[in-house]
Amino acid sequence: MKLDPSFIWTAFVKLLSAIPTTLEITFVSVFCGLIIGTITALARIYRIPVLAQLSSGYVTFIRGTPMLTHLLLIYFSLPMLIDGLSSEFGLGWNSARIPMIAFAFVSFSITAGAYMSEVVRSGLYAVDRGQMEAALSVGMTTPQALRRVVFPQAFAASLPNLSNSLIGMLHGSTLAFTVSVVDLNAKAQIVASTNWKFFEAYLAAALIFWGLTLLIERITAFVERRINVYNRGGVA
Amino acid sequence: MIKLRGIRKSFGRQEVLQGIDLTVEKGEVVAILGPSGSGKTTLLRCINYLEKPSDGTIHISDFSLDCKHAGKKEIHALRQRSAMVFQQYNLFNHKTALENVMEGLVIVKKLSKDEARKRGIQLLEKVGLGAKLDSYPSQLSGGQQQRVGIARALALEPEVILFDEPTSALDPELVGEVLAVIRRIAKEGITMIIVTHEMGFAQDVANHVVFMDGGVIVEEGPPSELFVNPKEERTKQFLKRYTPEFSYSI
Repeated sequence: MKLDPSFIWTAFVKLLSAIPTTLEITFVSVFCGLIIGTITALARIYRIPVLAQLSSGYVTFIRGTPMLTHLLLIYFSLPMLIDGLSSEFGLGWNSARIPMIAFAFVSFSITAGAYMSEVVRSGLYAVDRGQMEAALSVGMTTPQALRRVVFPQAFAASLPNLSNSLIGMLHGSTLAFTVSVVDLNAKAQIVASTNWKFFEAYLAAALIFWGLTLLIERITAFVERRINVYNRGGVA
Repeated sequence: MIKLRGIRKSFGRQEVLQGIDLTVEKGEVVAILGPSGSGKTTLLRCINYLEKPSDGTIHISDFSLDCKHAGKKEIHALRQRSAMVFQQYNLFNHKTALENVMEGLVIVKKLSKDEARKRGIQLLEKVGLGAKLDSYPSQLSGGQQQRVGIARALALEPEVILFDEPTSALDPELVGEVLAVIRRIAKEGITMIIVTHEMGFAQDVANHVVFMDGGVIVEEGPPSELFVNPKEERTKQFLKRYTPEFSYSI
């Protein structure tokens, strides 16, 4: 078999149509994961009874099992759950109508949530205790203090880790093809098998992933510069 | 008027405040002195509930709170009646000097941004930082940061401003500028409680001096008495380290 350089370009163009799906999966799961992660991190930091233990259990179980397993577990359990609820309460739902990508959204959000929980927790710990005290002494309520003072600084502190997680989820989103979602990687496989030019197609996919990753890196670097104007840097 | 009655606080098994009674009249400047670990900072932090007292009552003018049965609402109401100036400044790091002063006005006092800005600029000019409005805390010296902290506390127009060793983290050259600002606002009749190690300053600015040790108030009185003629042996011993035995200057 010989390398066909021109097919790399052909595949590249064909793959572009799958970028929105890949980005959609990535951003939905990172966004939902950030919300789950924030709630679980706060529950653990404030040692809220029951919720804190549940959160810790969630984090160790999800981080202790592969992302692909989460996807399969959701893929096989969610329809049962939905049909079960539907027949129990006569809701008229039908699991067959769930779009495949929804399974990816749900399961990857759960995956991302566990990793984000640690990212958010470290970010919150990076904010000096005195910041919270100052906010309270000014007369803010705890939620106001969190929103106005703690979260913005925690976000700035966890930005490098957040971008790490975002990149991880971008690459992890390729697993969605196991539940027949046509993401970038799946598209590459389709393009490759119809032409029998696997290497070229996957190389094109790799280049696109790299490009997207570079973009994420650039954007976070930009945001970091903007958001960290107040910070003169740590040890450097 | 501020009245503390029977304030107790324990950390684990150690009782660091063993029933403190203290009355501060409106417009009075009270200095709390004492060795490290005497409970003076804890007492100050109890007044605005950064530390939760285990027992006692706190009255600030018309508002009173029973520490045993304090709910979130009461605590919040209590905090709005006081403001704190911290040893480590604790300015909001992600906000400029002006934004630091505006924050409480906009979020807590619900002033419009324009009004808050006007008031913020006024106050920062008052503490001598009119030229540093848009500087972040990391761009300011310790003394400047503390003056922003004072402006932030003043902005809230609280019944009392609590100073927790406001100059302890500053190098000697910067202490003066902060003390000068505190001295100036003391003259305006704002009620203040100051925990400090600056004996000369306490003697000079305070109307009332409290000496604490081991979680109790050992002695209190006007500075002219407490510094010159302390009654308790422990007070004498403590002051000896700070004041020269005799001063021959005329």
